[in-house]
Amino acid sequence: MSIVLESTSATIRRNFWNGVWRVMKRKPSRMVGVVIILGFAFMGVFGPMFFPAQLPDNPDAITQPPSWEHWFGTDPQGRDVLALVITGSRYVLLSAAVTALITVVLGTAIGLYSGFKRGRWDTVLMRITDMKLTIPGLPLLLVLATVWKFGNPIQMGLVLGLLGWGGVARAVRAQTLSLRERGFIEAARGLGLSTTHIIGKELLPSMAPYIAMNMLIAVTGAVYAQVGLFFLGVLPYESDNWGVMLNLAVFQAGAMITPTALGYLLAPLLAILLLTLGIVLVVDAMDEIFNPRLREE
Amino acid sequence: MAKQAPGVRIDGLTVVYKTPAGELPAVRDVSMELAAGTITGIVGESGSGKSTLAFSLLNAVQPPGRISAGSVEIDDLGNVVSFQGEQLRKARGAHIGYVFQAAQNSLNPLKTVGKQLLDLGRSHGVEDLRGLVREAKELLGRMGLDGARVLDSHQHELSGGMRQRVGIMLALVLNAHLVVLDEPTTALDMITQATILRIIREVHAERGLTTMIITHDIGVVAEVADRLAVMYGGRIVEQGPTREVLADPQHPYTRGLIRAIPRLTGDINQAQALPGRPPTLTTVPKEGCVFRERCSLRMDVCDTVDPEAIPHGDRIIACHAVKVKEHA
Amino acid sequence: MISGKGITKTFKQRGSVLAGRTVQALRGVDFQIPKGGAASFIGESGCGKTTLGRIIAGLETYDTGEITIDGVSVTSPKDRLFRKVQMIHQDPYSALNPTRTIHQTLRAPLELRAKQTRRPKSWIDERAHEVLGLVGLDPASVIGRYPHQLSGGMRQRVVIARALTVDPEMLVADEATSMIDVSLRLGILALLKDLRERLGVSVLFITHDVATARYIGDDGELYVIYRGQVIERGSVDTIISDPVHPYTQSLLSAIPVLHGLEEPGPEPVVPTEALDAGHEDAGCLFARRCPFRTEECETGRPVLGLTEGVPQEHACFHPKSRDVVATHLGRV
Repeated sequence: MSIVLESTSATIRRNFWNGVWRVMKRKPSRMVGVVIILGFAFMGVFGPMFFPAQLPDNPDAITQPPSWEHWFGTDPQGRDVLALVITGSRYVLLSAAVTALITVVLGTAIGLYSGFKRGRWDTVLMRITDMKLTIPGLPLLLVLATVWKFGNPIQMGLVLGLLGWGGVARAVRAQTLSLRERGFIEAARGLGLSTTHIIGKELLPSMAPYIAMNMLIAVTGAVYAQVGLFFLGVLPYESDNWGVMLNLAVFQAGAMITPTALGYLLAPLLAILLLTLGIVLVVDAMDEIFNPRLREE
Repeated sequence: MAKQAPGVRIDGLTVVYKTPAGELPAVRDVSMELAAGTITGIVGESGSGKSTLAFSLLNAVQPPGRISAGSVEIDDLGNVVSFQGEQLRKARGAHIGYVFQAAQNSLNPLKTVGKQLLDLGRSHGVEDLRGLVREAKELLGRMGLDGARVLDSHQHELSGGMRQRVGIMLALVLNAHLVVLDEPTTALDMITQATILRIIREVHAERGLTTMIITHDIGVVAEVADRLAVMYGGRIVEQGPTREVLADPQHPYTRGLIRAIPRLTGDINQAQALPGRPPTLTTVPKEGCVFRERCSLRMDVCDTVDPEAIPHGDRIIACHAVKVKEHA
Repeated sequence: MISGKGITKTFKQRGSVLAGRTVQALRGVDFQIPKGGAASFIGESGCGKTTLGRIIAGLETYDTGEITIDGVSVTSPKDRLFRKVQMIHQDPYSALNPTRTIHQTLRAPLELRAKQTRRPKSWIDERAHEVLGLVGLDPASVIGRYPHQLSGGMRQRVVIARALTVDPEMLVADEATSMIDVSLRLGILALLKDLRERLGVSVLFITHDVATARYIGDDGELYVIYRGQVIERGSVDTIISDPVHPYTQSLLSAIPVLHGLEEPGPEPVVPTEALDAGHEDAGCLFARRCPFRTEECETGRPVLGLTEGVPQEHACFHPKSRDVVATHLGRV
């Protein structure tokens, strides 16, 4: 009998992935989104491996406009812009992923606990959340930048993540409060099922589309936040990344007045735009993936 | 302009919904007449097409649905199926009043009833707004409410029965003489239901209306309707004068439905559930009788030929078995 | 045996902090439901019948009074004895988790049950099939499905099957058929009746439709509740044929008559319009709506009890049987 059991849960899992495939195929735009996101993931993981640690510079070809040799031109040191974008992607994407993970895990855990337990714990946690929401992120980052160098993308992600979970916590709590009144949650309590079961197996899956969406959107948010910080120049240029590139393009290469530096400015912008597009296209599928009714149809 | 209760003739009406499996009929080849000044009840379970039929009366079937064939002729108005845009909007409200399913929740929670009444008046170009308010107060008073107080109230300040009456008032206040009530008493208590049904009956008679009531509850129709049409799987399987149909139901579905209601008197064990379950849009058989899966009188012909709706005196019945009985 | 004595419950209504109104949902209710027995709570929405049902099922706390299950007093909803009472909710659409298959839904409580009773793992699946069979579903075709793939009637059967996984002593069915297609309702009622007969589970029906209450069995007891007070209590047949409280009579009069098939009762009772329920009366709770009220009714409040010549308990100063029920013309 237990063999039958395992096989049924395996079947459910296989059906789930078949369903995901079906949902993705339903609209070509979703496939485009998936391809874009996979492309960026590939770029972040393997991209830097194709280039030497120190990109070759060329004093004879500084700030070149786009050409066949350099698709997006070169920077003021004569380095290929495309290579810069690719090598810079790891920092941006890794820190964004860490941010998204922390935002969602922390936000969901606190929101769920708060909304399900209600009472005293709810009050305490929500006060903390409110306090956290009132801390202005940018000045705090500026202060932190004076002591911390943010050379490590995980550090960066950690700080942005710890700053960002408040909104998710509030939203998840609201969802939990409405879901806990549903008949199936009450039935689970009436049957004497454990709180762990109710939260993990009944509540969480119902919120999965919501959490997944938040996670994806948090990625774009994190990219904007840190690119913005580097662009403003409030963080030291310790490493190559898209924000630093934008900053240099505007303030060093003078992309606003020098047409030859336009490629240098546009390349990181395009990368950010493309990533956002990919995420937006995929977010649209989350509801259908996690709702069995929409998935199976 | 003194208007009169209009008669309505529905002929060969088919409404299809676009689904991944192609266009499927929710209402198929329905013909019926609402005689001027009568109350007609449409009875059916979920998925029978009764609400879709009600919407087609206003030519208000929402996409992905559309009226694919047939006509709805309303006296003094014409064939509403051919109406479009502004002409249609004016017809609704001024000629046809509609009380929504769950009218209890169809009011705007942010506006008082009075404001919503004025919005309705303006959107229909009513010039005498004072007259409109007076008329509304009168109607509400007629239904046993304090008109002035109700107009000043928000939705949450009114009970379910009161909201239902506000819904009826909004449907009638523009002087419509054809009224469609979709599930007017669902989610109401027995006593409130009885009150609403009494009001529907009285207002119908006083204002000279033609009324159509959509419901899943045969008891509601039994209380108010002159004529009764039973829908199943998008078809009208039986129609006729209410008392006659209830006293002597001919179609096996009608019979089963009546027998499935527990009553207060009589042998309780006579009550029996119908076997099987009602079809949905995708499971309605494409050919043959829609009811055959649950029918006790199923014959070979039912699998292939859709029974035609045939008049038997005052009644119209779509069943092969009934026809056979007649001939025998 | 599940019984309650003097159960009261007060809800605080949300409003401004200073002027928070309270609503008395239950005003000292007594009830006894024997093992394998049947009872019905009848009344309009807001009368307290659902609150009482939820208290009995351990989903809500009560203020004062005492509930005993098999002679043991239970107070906290967390008490494990309350698991012997399982609620069947009105809405079979929200009662099942849409993201879990029927198998997953049944497994969770069965795993717990297996652990408690030291049964082997293999028992879990056997039992899952068994309970689905008990509620008249084909286990093989249903077990792997998601709730949305089932009709309302089938879902309600799954809900009942889930309740059966913990071997309950009583099922509380709160308007359990009102959201199900008319032609299938009777099937659910018949199932509850059948479970009562076969498994000895007692059934508590909460409904506003007296006719459904009748279906559960002739030995069933009927509690008519009005504004948190039981105003008439007795066997189903007695109360339907000879109701003495005007409120019970108006409930029975309000049931639609199938004209042509039935003849309406000769003495229908129509209550006067429901007035502001927030108002507290000193006298009989129903006096304001009662067509037969006297001065006595406005000053003193009758309590539930027996009087001479009336077989059922009632709370009315002027009990009088009236012929309000429609009679069957004897066809179909």
